[in-house]
Amino acid sequence: MINTPHSPTPSLVATGTTLVLGWLRHHALLVVSLVLLAAFSTVNSNVLSIENLRNILVQSSYLMIFAAAQMIVILTRGFDLSLGATVSLVSVVSSMAMVSLGTDSTTLQLAVGLLVAILVSASVGCVNGFAVAVLGVNPFVVTLATWNIVLTFASTVSNGFPIDGLPVAFGDWFARAAPFGLPIPLLITLAILLALAWMLLRTTFGRRLFLVGANPQAAKLGGTRNGWVLFWAYITCSILVAIGAFLLTARMGSGEPNLGGSLTMDSIAAAVIGGVSLRGGEGRISSPIIGAVFVTVLSNGMNLLRVDGSVQQITLGLVIIVALLVDRLRGSTRLV
Amino acid sequence: MKTLDHDGFIAALLRRLGVVTLLLIVLIIVIGLLEPRFFSRLNQLNVLRNAAFLILAAYGQMLVMIVGGFDLSVGVVAALSSIATATVMGAMGGMSCSADLSCGWTILLGVSAGVASGVLVGLINGLCVALGRVSAFMITLGMMTVVGGIVVYWTNGVPIYGIPESMTAVLGRGAWFRLPIAFWLAMAIGALLWLILNHTRLGLYLYAVGSNIQASRMTGLPTTRTLLLAYMCSGLFAAMAGILMASRIGSGQAGIGGSLMIQSIAAAVIGGVSLRGGVGKVERVIAGCLLLAIVENSLNLLRIESKLQALVMGVILLAAVSLEQLSLKRSHRD
Repeated sequence: MINTPHSPTPSLVATGTTLVLGWLRHHALLVVSLVLLAAFSTVNSNVLSIENLRNILVQSSYLMIFAAAQMIVILTRGFDLSLGATVSLVSVVSSMAMVSLGTDSTTLQLAVGLLVAILVSASVGCVNGFAVAVLGVNPFVVTLATWNIVLTFASTVSNGFPIDGLPVAFGDWFARAAPFGLPIPLLITLAILLALAWMLLRTTFGRRLFLVGANPQAAKLGGTRNGWVLFWAYITCSILVAIGAFLLTARMGSGEPNLGGSLTMDSIAAAVIGGVSLRGGEGRISSPIIGAVFVTVLSNGMNLLRVDGSVQQITLGLVIIVALLVDRLRGSTRLV
Repeated sequence: MKTLDHDGFIAALLRRLGVVTLLLIVLIIVIGLLEPRFFSRLNQLNVLRNAAFLILAAYGQMLVMIVGGFDLSVGVVAALSSIATATVMGAMGGMSCSADLSCGWTILLGVSAGVASGVLVGLINGLCVALGRVSAFMITLGMMTVVGGIVVYWTNGVPIYGIPESMTAVLGRGAWFRLPIAFWLAMAIGALLWLILNHTRLGLYLYAVGSNIQASRMTGLPTTRTLLLAYMCSGLFAAMAGILMASRIGSGQAGIGGSLMIQSIAAAVIGGVSLRGGVGKVERVIAGCLLLAIVENSLNLLRIESKLQALVMGVILLAAVSLEQLSLKRSHRD
């Protein structure tokens, strides 16, 4: 304590400014989202209606799960291009399982549906994880390959037709229920994110995820079995994807062979825009939340303004590229 | 080691071309036995023409992978240039022109527009990678999304006509010495590329930048220019593939390069181009492309559903990268 230099007491205004600036730096995207909302509302007043805001919240809650899944693997310098295709496959296969069980017991049907969803998705995660962790293949190329494989399965399992005849309770319980006036998808997402935050910050596995991503050599020297961490990262990612796909299927009311269409890009966009760094080991639990809200506000606004689907796609791509460049600029000011 | 000196031309060629050539020969024999139509003249032309499109795109992919990158935008770039070419030609009245001088201008300007659009996308990719130092995979993924949106917006999913008959007849469907013109073109460019990679300073730079970019930068190599050039070439070759495909089917279409991206990556990896950069040979990549084109053709001949072909490509890619990685591990252990 002897060497501590005497620091002058900063004025209240200065402290306030620093606080606000610091908050802004971390939550700039939230501000941008609000500005975007305001801008959209000047053109279409429906944007700020309670109905639509609730809609945005519900829509973004699905994307939060997928972005969180993407974050888990990006933290380890990995990537999951097969995410969208897996969502489609899970939707079709778990629906088929539920329909084929018949309507004797709804609870059993839903339980089996969820179990099948997790098994299907986890088997994709297993292949990804095995190739990345055990064989040491580049995750981009691995998931590019599994993306093609899974997509084929998704579009051939039901010959490309949607699966109808799901129990009504499925949609009632997992999409339309609203205990305490809060939509159930949002509640489930919050619970998942809380569990994820606990896992990332309080468990050894969580800390190792960051370590393996930030500095694989150091992690190895420190006694971490990097392969295991990588493998379980892909498994964790796939389980999150399964839950998200299950909820999304409940919302649709049928198993859809192209449910995951743009979700790969959306989830990557949300994670990267939210501040998960592609250099690994850098990301917060708030990243997928903020990123998902931003992407949803953007697409919701463009939908209400009747912007063409392809223009929306162009916009999203441009936003990703800008986010990447910004991420890089942020990185170059870092000392490490 | 004495046998090595005596094992003749074929063995030397095989060593030079790698395992992929052996696989290729085995595949040709097997499919030829299973389905005699494989060797029919029409089918040969068909396979080689499809291979030519893939070979061109794979040249670009190879160059980008040699400098340690990736290009996921090759498929949509092919679509973009096919549309740009068809649009310009259509605007100049390409449908109605006969083989005279004005038709020449139409073709020249149309092809230039297509090539320019491809090179432009490559330039943007290259700038982001070389100056922004962003992950090539991510940038080209973003670019794939953007350009994919542009081509759909531009065409509304409707084919664009306007490519002159004379161009379709020669570039698209013509043959010379029993081989498709497109294939001759791909081989000529391949020869040029082989010369550049093996016998010029530029080739040396490309391999050096891919092997160790920091070291290259410190020794004063023009790393930025080399990277830019690689990505622009990738755009150029993808554009050429797109233009040739458009002249084959007679129109520019948004879905034209659908499977080109994954196939070009797979062909490069099968041809021994390393995902870590710094390694890659033209002749092996050509063999890889031929292999994939023949696999695709065999699936068609054996009437296997087209949907399953994406599955086969995925499995081949996964197997190829896994094998590359395993052999790498083994060589490290030795």
